[in-house]
Amino acid sequence: MTALVNWTDKIYAKNSDFVQREVAGECILIPVRRQLTDVNSLYVLNETGAALWRRMDGKTPLQAITLDFLNEFDVTQTQLEKDVASLIEDLLSIHAIREASPES
Amino acid sequence: MIASDRLTSIPERYPLVCQWEITCRCNLRCVMCYTDCFNRPEKIREELTTTEILRIMDELAEAGCIELALTGGEPLARSDFFDIYEHAKTGGFLVTLLTNGTLITEEIADRLAALPPHRIEISLHGITAHTFEQVTQGSGSFARCMRAIGLLCDRKLPLLLKTTAMTVNRDEVLTIKRYVNGLHESGHRVGYKLGEEMRLTLDGSDAPGLLALSDEELEDLNRQDAELWTEACRNQTSEAKPCTSGQQRFHIDAYGQLQLCSGNRRRGYDLRRGSFKEGFYQHLPAFPCPAKADPQAALLQPSASHA
Repeated sequence: MTALVNWTDKIYAKNSDFVQREVAGECILIPVRRQLTDVNSLYVLNETGAALWRRMDGKTPLQAITLDFLNEFDVTQTQLEKDVASLIEDLLSIHAIREASPES
Repeated sequence: MIASDRLTSIPERYPLVCQWEITCRCNLRCVMCYTDCFNRPEKIREELTTTEILRIMDELAEAGCIELALTGGEPLARSDFFDIYEHAKTGGFLVTLLTNGTLITEEIADRLAALPPHRIEISLHGITAHTFEQVTQGSGSFARCMRAIGLLCDRKLPLLLKTTAMTVNRDEVLTIKRYVNGLHESGHRVGYKLGEEMRLTLDGSDAPGLLALSDEELEDLNRQDAELWTEACRNQTSEAKPCTSGQQRFHIDAYGQLQLCSGNRRRGYDLRRGSFKEGFYQHLPAFPCPAKADPQAALLQPSASHA
């Protein structure tokens, strides 16, 4: 297995502004301290997104999480990297996560 | 990740939306109020405690409920209101607060702004102190309500101002609506809703009905405003549909009774004794509602055949 690209070395932490809820089998993110209109909507996570959200603890590098996912999900590394990168970008854009330093 | 205004894959029967009358306590005595008859010490002592409310709320969250309207009485009349509200917000509910506004101080407005609700609905039954307080029977309540509206607008919180049309305020309804439109045009997030329903009080009195406008009076009122008339026409022309209360919406009263809706309390399931999921899935479907589709009716009707 080839090494995942460098961005997976990063560590991300959830922003406490968002709460994750399970509603009718869907995993959604709800902003708590901002009005819905400030972030425009609820955010519905797909299966990979929900799993990623649950694993982001501000301590575990993305690389470790994605390596676990390769074992858990029937997905190619290329597709997983693409999905995770897109999701991280989305979550950062709504400030649902922030980059954390390894020692934090 | 998908940004979504609404959830699309909710089953037909799912506990999505809760209206929760967390107290019958109120600092006002509105003449048409249907809960005020229980705004007395011995009934207040029967209301759910903080611990009970938080426990039931956790059960709602676990069952998937996401929209929570906290109403009363006056929710802010509970000394533990912010314990309840903050638990709901941090638990991921989309919270709507229904209030008379008169207990909202600058400090309370700040606390609401720090954890903003999905919406705040305020009853505005008059646009002069005389009429407003004829309805609320509370001296100084008009000034306090108007101040609250200003405090919440300043904090850019989304408001819905509501009037119940009655004999005592019908001459001010259009002025109230113009005031609300003015706020909206000034850039505030404020909407308006005119209500017409007068309910029996919880102890069965039809006294509020004495204040109701006749159909002709309501029509005359609605015809004077294009938006009100459009809404009235829409309500008149839409065919009566079977009631869907208990499908995705339900009501909990101040004593922990799970009911179909606030307007139908014929039967309740005691959430102090049983779990929410058991009440919603095993008991609520059997609760009577005159506006519900009769499950037997479909069986009695022959399948449609067109010549």
